[in-house]
Amino acid sequence: MVELAQNLIDGLGRGSIYALLALGVAVVFGVMHLLNFAHGELITVSGYAAFWAITNGWSWWLVVPLIIVVAVLTSLVIERLAFSRVRGASQFTLLLTSFGVHFVVSAIFLLYVSASVKNFARPAWTTQSTWALGPLQIETFDTVVIVVTILTLIGTNLLLQRTMFGLALRAAAADFDTARLMGVRSDTVIRGAFALSGLLAGIAGVFWLMRAGSTTPSAGIDPMLKGVLAALIGGLGSLRGAVLGGFALGLAEVLLRSWLPGSIAGLTEGFVFALIALLFIFRPQGFVSVAHAERV
Amino acid sequence: MNIRKLLALLFAMALVAAACGSDGDSSSSSAAGEGGGTVDIDAALNADLSACEDAPTGDPIRVGMAMDFSDVVGFVDIPGSNLVPYMAEKINCAGGVNGSPVEVRVAEVGDDAALAAQELLDWGAHFLIGPPFADFALPILQTTDGEVPMFVAASTEPTLADASINSFLVSFDDNLMSGAVAQWALDEGITRAIVFTEGEGVPYTGVNPDAFIAAFEAGGGEVVSTQTYVWAADTDFSAQVNEIAGISENNEIVFSAALGFQVTALRGQLEGQGLDGLVYAGTDALDATGIQFEANNEGIVHTPHTSISAGDRVDTMLASYEADRGEALESRGFMGLYVDSMFLGLQGILDCGCTEPADIGAAVAQIEGFQGLTGEITYAGTNGIPPKAVPINRIVDGEDVLVATIGG
Repeated sequence: MVELAQNLIDGLGRGSIYALLALGVAVVFGVMHLLNFAHGELITVSGYAAFWAITNGWSWWLVVPLIIVVAVLTSLVIERLAFSRVRGASQFTLLLTSFGVHFVVSAIFLLYVSASVKNFARPAWTTQSTWALGPLQIETFDTVVIVVTILTLIGTNLLLQRTMFGLALRAAAADFDTARLMGVRSDTVIRGAFALSGLLAGIAGVFWLMRAGSTTPSAGIDPMLKGVLAALIGGLGSLRGAVLGGFALGLAEVLLRSWLPGSIAGLTEGFVFALIALLFIFRPQGFVSVAHAERV
Repeated sequence: MNIRKLLALLFAMALVAAACGSDGDSSSSSAAGEGGGTVDIDAALNADLSACEDAPTGDPIRVGMAMDFSDVVGFVDIPGSNLVPYMAEKINCAGGVNGSPVEVRVAEVGDDAALAAQELLDWGAHFLIGPPFADFALPILQTTDGEVPMFVAASTEPTLADASINSFLVSFDDNLMSGAVAQWALDEGITRAIVFTEGEGVPYTGVNPDAFIAAFEAGGGEVVSTQTYVWAADTDFSAQVNEIAGISENNEIVFSAALGFQVTALRGQLEGQGLDGLVYAGTDALDATGIQFEANNEGIVHTPHTSISAGDRVDTMLASYEADRGEALESRGFMGLYVDSMFLGLQGILDCGCTEPADIGAAVAQIEGFQGLTGEITYAGTNGIPPKAVPINRIVDGEDVLVATIGG
């Protein structure tokens, strides 16, 4: 029972990061119908920024905002250089473009920085600090991740519900053409969506990089996969669904890793995908259904 | 028999002898001259590129490098493919090999290793230096049809070695490497182990744990827990840590073929659960991913290919490269393997006095006691895996030091 409770908390911690990543994917999908396979590159670029900063003596107090700022700027630059050129193109074109961005960013770091793993010091509390809750030893890291994620989700919700930008974003996600007819500027809302997506990726990236303590040219693949998967599980285009999907994915990974017998524990990822496949058989739309909006 | 018949017989015998000699020489003419001699590694290392001897004028010896520059193994193949041409330049600067210059061509395997290999064969490579993983090394071997010797420089994958098709490891293999760690642990009095694996028989990430477990248990140790993980990806080991916390006596060795940042992440989480008496050990992957530069690395044990110390031959070579080329090479512990690959191929040429790749391969397969930069290398009597000594390094007081050498 203690181990189960421990695993649930660990799963929520892991799922929180996935939720932030998925939310970023969902925000962009909402306005552009772009399943952004370049989303993980925001963490790749931020990772190298963190490596540079830490090896130059910056403290994590400064590195945290740096990671977030770099993620937002990278997201905007990618939108400007790549996705703005293919607005209005087919979803297939958008998809290929996002793959292209992923490979280009990865290749740039491979060719002009290094193919080697670049290590940087993690803050000690991210791995070594725990606190006791009865018989449970809860990682401080998980606690911080869960709290920050909840605060970020509340903030994002307020942004979307209480501001003109949020209204425009939601309107665009529901029906972009009608939103434009109502005066919503497409450039503003799309760039805003990419900035918000970058912000969420930046916050997720802080935790991802604190845990990893390293980066490589392909560091973005794993977070991209988790974010996209969680967004799909939750229901593509649904912000609420993305969050649910993130938590579900994190919990599934930790619980399956713990429950599967040792002889097949190596198939954990496979079982996670099998569960996802089962979900899609019974609920192809994911956890939350979204009315299909016209793409930009 | 009259004198005319005797002369005719002698003439005929001379012709036969010449013809036989010609058969052998048709594949051996030129570059290396007569068989014998030893590659002068020190002369190459000490060559001063600003004061070279006369350029060697013999037929060139061609070294083909089919290298993987992707982020999978680019961390070793990229610096390796910079260093080998540099060392060839140094060899030529010191007069070449028996008067023949050494030429190096690098072909990136990209997504078609066979094409890269064909390019090198068309160029006339006498032997190849190949990428470490089977995905690319096997298509190259299919392209060479086993006729051209290939050194899989940075690989420890035992299935890639096969002397009958001229494929040679330059390093010890996974079994020797992880068996040596198990032996070291037993020598230290550690009798309990926790092992992380990607699954039995999985190349590298499973084979190394398999070898560790086999050697550890054969030596009387007990593996108390076997955990799975995703290599090069997982940095959150919460589920495994929760399980280990219920089993551990806080005195085990934790073995895996994981990367440096994974081992330190795992260690942090285990220490967070109060398990601060564990010893962490791994493979050459720890050297490859810079365990020396990780935080919280104190006491971690690993098996570099070369335990480099200040002023030794590898250190001197790398310093010389940095001075001449203006940039330091990464993955320092692996670099000796690439240069040794070239030296071994050259030694094969010297031994057979030939330039036909298959003959060079046959000569390489008979090499014994070659004193390379990465230790003594013997292929004779093996299937292409040199039974090299395994250095056991440990981070002690922040320094990466050699604490034992197992086997060899």
